[in-house]
Amino acid sequence: MTTVPRAVIIGLDGVPHRLIERYASDGTMPNLGRILSRGTLRKMASSVPDVSCVAWSTVITGKNAGEHGVYGFMNLRPGTYRFSFPTFDDLGARPFWEEMPGRRAAVINVPGTYPAREMNGALISGFVALDLAKATHPKALVPELERIGYRIDVDASKGHSDMDAFLRDLAEETESKVRAYRHLWERGPWDVFFLVFTGTDRLGHFLFEAFDDGRHPYAAAFRAHFARIDEVLGEIEGRAGGDGLFMMLSDHGFGPIGREVNVNRFLAERGFLRVVDPSPDSFEGVGEGSRAFALDPCRVYVHLAGRYPRGRVPPADRERVAEEVAAAFGDLRIDGRPVARRICRRAETFSGPHLDAAPDLVVLPHRGFDLKARLAAPQLVSRGAFTGAHTQDDAFLFLRSGAIPESAIPAAPWVGDVRGLIERGIAR
Amino acid sequence: MDELTELESRTIYVVREAYSRFKRIGMLWSIGKDSTSLLWMCRKAFFGKIPFPVIHIDTGYKFREIYEFRDRYAREWGLDLMVARNEKALAAGTGPETGSKLDCCHALKTQALIDFIAAHRLDAILLGIRRDEHGIRSKERYFSPRDERFQWDYQNQPPELWDQFKSSTEGHHHLRVHPILHMTELDIWRYVEREGIPIVDLYFAKNGARYRSIGCACCCSTVESEADTVDKIIHEIATTDVSERAGRAQDKENAYTMQKLRALGYM
Repeated sequence: MTTVPRAVIIGLDGVPHRLIERYASDGTMPNLGRILSRGTLRKMASSVPDVSCVAWSTVITGKNAGEHGVYGFMNLRPGTYRFSFPTFDDLGARPFWEEMPGRRAAVINVPGTYPAREMNGALISGFVALDLAKATHPKALVPELERIGYRIDVDASKGHSDMDAFLRDLAEETESKVRAYRHLWERGPWDVFFLVFTGTDRLGHFLFEAFDDGRHPYAAAFRAHFARIDEVLGEIEGRAGGDGLFMMLSDHGFGPIGREVNVNRFLAERGFLRVVDPSPDSFEGVGEGSRAFALDPCRVYVHLAGRYPRGRVPPADRERVAEEVAAAFGDLRIDGRPVARRICRRAETFSGPHLDAAPDLVVLPHRGFDLKARLAAPQLVSRGAFTGAHTQDDAFLFLRSGAIPESAIPAAPWVGDVRGLIERGIAR
Repeated sequence: MDELTELESRTIYVVREAYSRFKRIGMLWSIGKDSTSLLWMCRKAFFGKIPFPVIHIDTGYKFREIYEFRDRYAREWGLDLMVARNEKALAAGTGPETGSKLDCCHALKTQALIDFIAAHRLDAILLGIRRDEHGIRSKERYFSPRDERFQWDYQNQPPELWDQFKSSTEGHHHLRVHPILHMTELDIWRYVEREGIPIVDLYFAKNGARYRSIGCACCCSTVESEADTVDKIIHEIATTDVSERAGRAQDKENAYTMQKLRALGYM
């Protein structure tokens, strides 16, 4: 075991490649600028769909969703229209730290790792963790985290009512992560130290428009958050020593929202979906005669007979219905602009033992559109509290030179490549 | 003294302690097995006549059996029964089908209680919660302060050593008093058996299923069971490894998960 970790991995949830480039060069993140000059920065593709639980599950397993089985934050429970919420227990493949015998890892705040479970090292679960005791391994760590005021997440509901309160809460939550990382670092030595900041994603959801608009009332607050992250990055990189693997990455990017597009409303208008008495707690409102519906962000499922109580589409018609929906999305224009950037078909996007549970289509939007799958949305187009939408094509990946030859880093990586790079770095 | 008698004495001690410190006190009675056992011990503490109101938070969605049981024993035991209902929310149609379940619970239970405590200016309420019910409850105290927003700061609670209870309140706080905190689910059933306490029928198995925890009809589910007597229930609980609130706990976790996802615009 070494005194500094063999691998230090810093995740910045939801940070786009172009933000990294801009803030590294305009002086907002001077440490980042210095670090970038000593390694390789790439634009990275996220998972499909590009939500954090799917993307991070792909990062840590190195497998596509067809293999690890996590397609989103919620599914419908088999044979019902009720939601289930996949957890770490449902992840159908092992994260890399469970498959490196003799190596100790500290893993902090990786989304999709709740509840925490036995491992060689320490783990504090990220989003959607509910209870710190269940989010922490080993249990002896719980009182230590309570003492330093550890916060699992920012209270995002504040972003809807009081932006200043949200920003104060975000700063507190971020500082609690900094205290936690310092505390765990001292509790080492570790072979792998893996820390994810998720406040960057929360900030993106509410205030991403402040990134491109310098006169936005919260433009300074937006930059200030990244300036603080930069100080912490500098501190960690300094501690990490010179010859280990040092990696930074995001799980997806962010872009501005012009319009929210309610995709179930679209399916209803085109006759694919009949909504009856929708309730926010279930998809019980998917009525008789519906041929397709969507779950967030835009995972389209054909309403198959035998799979859903009111499903009437015979399996033989599954592909045909999916193609009809794909064609409809392909034609959808709002304000004269096409909405769908890419329409991902099940068989070409996913492979593995969980293929059958995969959505039939995943629609990825052009910049400026955010796809939402509320069942009860009254209009096709709306504008909500959010100003940022996830983007699939501009996450980032950075590796400091040394541990891995530059030639081993794919020119256009996707999140599924990350695990291999980490393993290669550790194995040296 | 046998074990059950010791547990009972401890409860009666806390009940009397609370009553002697607070003028404006009431007891919450959900009509479930725990609060009914607590009610039984309160009757014993005051020789049959409970000197404070017994409050039922009525969401309007309880099982029919619960209302029948409540009215029958309120009469037989001479209780000063008060019913807390959020009439405004009910008139506005709040229910498990109209909004999220979390919102429904908040409006019809939490808000109903907040309003009731304010209207009757209560400084303390007795509740039948037990330490073994849920992980977070293991951090509870016998005397547990709540602030004006009903928040419980479990990291800021007075220690309770050698039965020295801090039972004063500050400012707008009220105290929650938990006289059966030390009893387990199994203790309760053994006590119900020993004392012959009447219990709502829903707890007893019919057609291979029974309720292990009761509340609103829409949000409770049964467990598989053949236990149709108290004796059989005791045997079942002593040998099961399924948690008492398994059905309800999962619902609650799902509700929290949805709340967190919604705050970020999912769902």
